[in-house]
Amino acid sequence: MDIFNIFWTYRSYFFTGVQYTLLLAVIGVFCGFILGMLVSLLRMSRIRVLRFIGSVWVEFLRGTPMLVQLFIIHYGLVSFGIKFSAIESGAITLTINSSAYLAEIFRAGIQGVDKGQAEAARSLGMSKAMTMRHIVLPQAVKSVLPAIGNEFITIIKESSIVSFIGVGDLMYQAGAVNTITYDYLKPLLIIAVIYFIMTFLLSKLLGLFERRLRTDDHR
Amino acid sequence: MITVKDLHKSYGKLEILKGVDIEIAKGEVVVVIGPSGSGKSTFLRCLNLLEAPTSGEITFEGESITGKRHNINLTREKMGMVFQQFNLFPHKTVLQNITLAPIKVKKMPQGEAEKIAMDLLRTVGLEDKKDAYPSQLSGGQKQRIAIARALAMQPHVMLFDEPTSALDPEMVGEVLEVMKKLAEGGMTMVIVTHEMGFAREVGDRIIFMDGGKIMEEGTPAEVFNNPQNPRTKDFLSKVL
Repeated sequence: MDIFNIFWTYRSYFFTGVQYTLLLAVIGVFCGFILGMLVSLLRMSRIRVLRFIGSVWVEFLRGTPMLVQLFIIHYGLVSFGIKFSAIESGAITLTINSSAYLAEIFRAGIQGVDKGQAEAARSLGMSKAMTMRHIVLPQAVKSVLPAIGNEFITIIKESSIVSFIGVGDLMYQAGAVNTITYDYLKPLLIIAVIYFIMTFLLSKLLGLFERRLRTDDHR
Repeated sequence: MITVKDLHKSYGKLEILKGVDIEIAKGEVVVVIGPSGSGKSTFLRCLNLLEAPTSGEITFEGESITGKRHNINLTREKMGMVFQQFNLFPHKTVLQNITLAPIKVKKMPQGEAEKIAMDLLRTVGLEDKKDAYPSQLSGGQKQRIAIARALAMQPHVMLFDEPTSALDPEMVGEVLEVMKKLAEGGMTMVIVTHEMGFAREVGDRIIFMDGGKIMEEGTPAEVFNNPQNPRTKDFLSKVL
């Protein structure tokens, strides 16, 4: 069978794979966004213990392979009686992993907001939390949107490791098609193209979005 | 209204303020002058604790604000501040810049906050800019909005940290005009500035600072026409 035939015959496999991959990437980035913001606030806290916890979180998750993290969560935690389904383990791993990278992105963004902004807000009687929420974070998030987009692209690609624990993502489906057709190369080429189309489209979309942001940048 | 006793401020080994004592009365316009690095901006920023004093005591309306237990946010509501770099919020419109703190801090209804804001915009002559973003304004306009923003909290005292130093020369006048109106309206003001003409015209009292200390103080006539301290004489001979 040629590559187009394989693609067409097993299109439902690939389609299912795309759905799982995108679902996991969206969950990973969305939950990672919220968790990452919390972690970045921990890392900038005045309280040393919180700062330490934030640093450990970031350094550990960035300094160990995501596959190891995935296996710890999926297989390792079972010994503590904590059992997740494959998709749950995948989502949790992608979330905590992206939270570490996003926390560093947020920290740079928050520290990049002019100090005068917070001073002006505080001089008006706004509390630290109010200042963060209404003045600093909106400006920080806007300035790091491109970096968040890049993290999304990374997560789409890295999510392929969840196939190891049996989540039916694109990578997994390539294996399934391979088992049926005894063809190694072609299913892999097909998903490579699909991954590429997804990330390429996304990066183009982000570029467009970024240009829009810049034109109505009110700075 | 404000009493400062033996105020010291150091950054590590660098001592910026070396014991400042001053009393500011209600309705008084105090202008602080002095060479760069004399500590005048630091002194001003200590008044609302944007800089934490190393030692000394500051009392505002009979209440010590340097005590550990004091809630500075409540005091800052009554102390407006205007910065050299304006520090308007770039992601908010002019109207939102002015109404944010009254709505969020004072829990004022939006309608009332906007009414106050519009009155203030009229006072500073910028009511047609209410929906503009800061990036669409000139420096002078930005600073007038920043003054309106501080006034919207209905402060009892206004602190000005070199409000015209970042402006193009042709825009200095419009900002000083607004400040003059404010002074004539009886507002208590502490102004750090290099505008000597303005200091002489509007100030009730001139403070000359150098080396982290108040070297001389008095009425504009005393300080500008008959300075006693040689450092004051030297400084004035360079800037006048």
